[in-house]
Amino acid sequence: MSAKTLRHLIVIGLIVLWELLPRTGLIPELFLPSLSSTLIAGWTDAAEYGHALAVTLYEVVVSMAFACGGGILLGAIVGSLPRPRVLIMPMVSSLYAVPLVILYPVFTVWLGIGSESKIAFASIYGFLPTMLATAAGIQTIDPQLLLAARSMGATLSQRLVRVIMPAAIPTVLSGLRVGGALVIVGVVVSEMLISSAGIGYLISRYRTILDSPHVFAGVLLVLFLAITFNAAIRWIERKAAIWQTGTRAGHANDEMASGAMQPAT
Amino acid sequence: MQPLANVTPLKPAARAGAIEVKNVGQVFRGRSQDVVALDDVSLEIKPGRFVVLVGPSGCGKSTLLMMMAGLRQQTTGTITISGAPILQPDPDRVGVVFQEASLFPWLTAEDNVEFPLALRGVPKAERRAKAQDALKLVGLEGFGKRHPHELSGGMKQRVSIARGLVQDPPVLLMDEPFAALDEQTRMTMGDELLRIWAATGKTVVFVTHSLTEAVYLADEVIVMSARPGRIVDHLQVQLPRPRTYEMLSGDAFGALRDRIWRHIRKSA
Repeated sequence: MSAKTLRHLIVIGLIVLWELLPRTGLIPELFLPSLSSTLIAGWTDAAEYGHALAVTLYEVVVSMAFACGGGILLGAIVGSLPRPRVLIMPMVSSLYAVPLVILYPVFTVWLGIGSESKIAFASIYGFLPTMLATAAGIQTIDPQLLLAARSMGATLSQRLVRVIMPAAIPTVLSGLRVGGALVIVGVVVSEMLISSAGIGYLISRYRTILDSPHVFAGVLLVLFLAITFNAAIRWIERKAAIWQTGTRAGHANDEMASGAMQPAT
Repeated sequence: MQPLANVTPLKPAARAGAIEVKNVGQVFRGRSQDVVALDDVSLEIKPGRFVVLVGPSGCGKSTLLMMMAGLRQQTTGTITISGAPILQPDPDRVGVVFQEASLFPWLTAEDNVEFPLALRGVPKAERRAKAQDALKLVGLEGFGKRHPHELSGGMKQRVSIARGLVQDPPVLLMDEPFAALDEQTRMTMGDELLRIWAATGKTVVFVTHSLTEAVYLADEVIVMSARPGRIVDHLQVQLPRPRTYEMLSGDAFGALRDRIWRHIRKSA
């Protein structure tokens, strides 16, 4: 049996267990509602979940634009110029170790409990790994490649577009993968803490009234969101970094990126 | 090995360029004292010659090559190629071949060869045609669609040579191009390079650590010493061409190699 079919079997087994364990009464429905009751709860309140999903998606998309755009831009500057690197990198690295969620209450004071505070928090949350990966990606470009381009008469802008950018793509994408996952975490967590809309808000509201099927319906939606995002990034990676697939380095990167995503989700 | 007489030059009016290095010096400013990397180096290379630079590590042979390529500025002196001073990289006059790692891994072999043409906005069809010619010249016809990671070390270096030749520059500079290859591939690539050189008639300046490679390939060997880097000997290799494997064990070959080795041992 191949690893892939085995993986599929494990997932199917877990889904079956999810349905069976609560039904047989081994686990109380309060702790784990069966899959069918979760789906029914989601289906009967589809409008409510749809609205919440729209709010969350909007926040995720805007935060991702800020986190990725800002992270790539600043990462490119820090990665290519030594002066800002010496100035900024130590700060960013230590900031990375701080649990940024402590900033969220401050953001709600500044920006209110609407989407703005979520976007601000999630943007900063996802910005750091994207920036660090971009800076690392640009710093680790083989100087021989730049020298070769120069010997062929490449101007500064040609070197940027034709050498630095394509060479940095794999590292930047693995940073986006981590950064994007953190954006989703940031949005959902902040919705759960203080808010008035979104999937995180629904989860936390239904939890306070002990309505487990509705809580799990929200959890399922977030899971779906994260998996879709991951699949999208993988697809882009395959398209953009075709030269890395098939090499050992490419696989190692892949493993590392998915490994690095684990603590985030 | 292929007899050279059977090789028809691809370009009938092969362009070859002269190189003139006059009183070139390079000084690195250190904290306590200045380090003289090159000290008053002068040499003249006639068009179409195959010249090899050898010397111990740190003798400045790669530095000198990078100056000829316009990738580095000398502190003093001038370098002229095809009659005009070289102040910055000029792919019209000089093609450069680096060590193995310098192919762009995200481009196919033919896109790599086309790269210098694409930089100057040469139309796609013309680019493709020139790249095909260059790949054919280095014996890689039919491998154009492969990415570097799908090619062996020797094939990658052939692509690099094709890229260096695609603009038909009169001078080809090679910085230890076979250093990363295994011994057998290295020998084969040496023969291949001589075949390509005979077919195109370029002036070649080749930097290497290997004394055998130096004598085997060269018309002239320039021996440099370290700290300060200067030229200590300039040998003419009179061995007939085509060079063959049997020459390696001959007396003439051994005598030349010994002479170079004595210089290097003295300065190292």
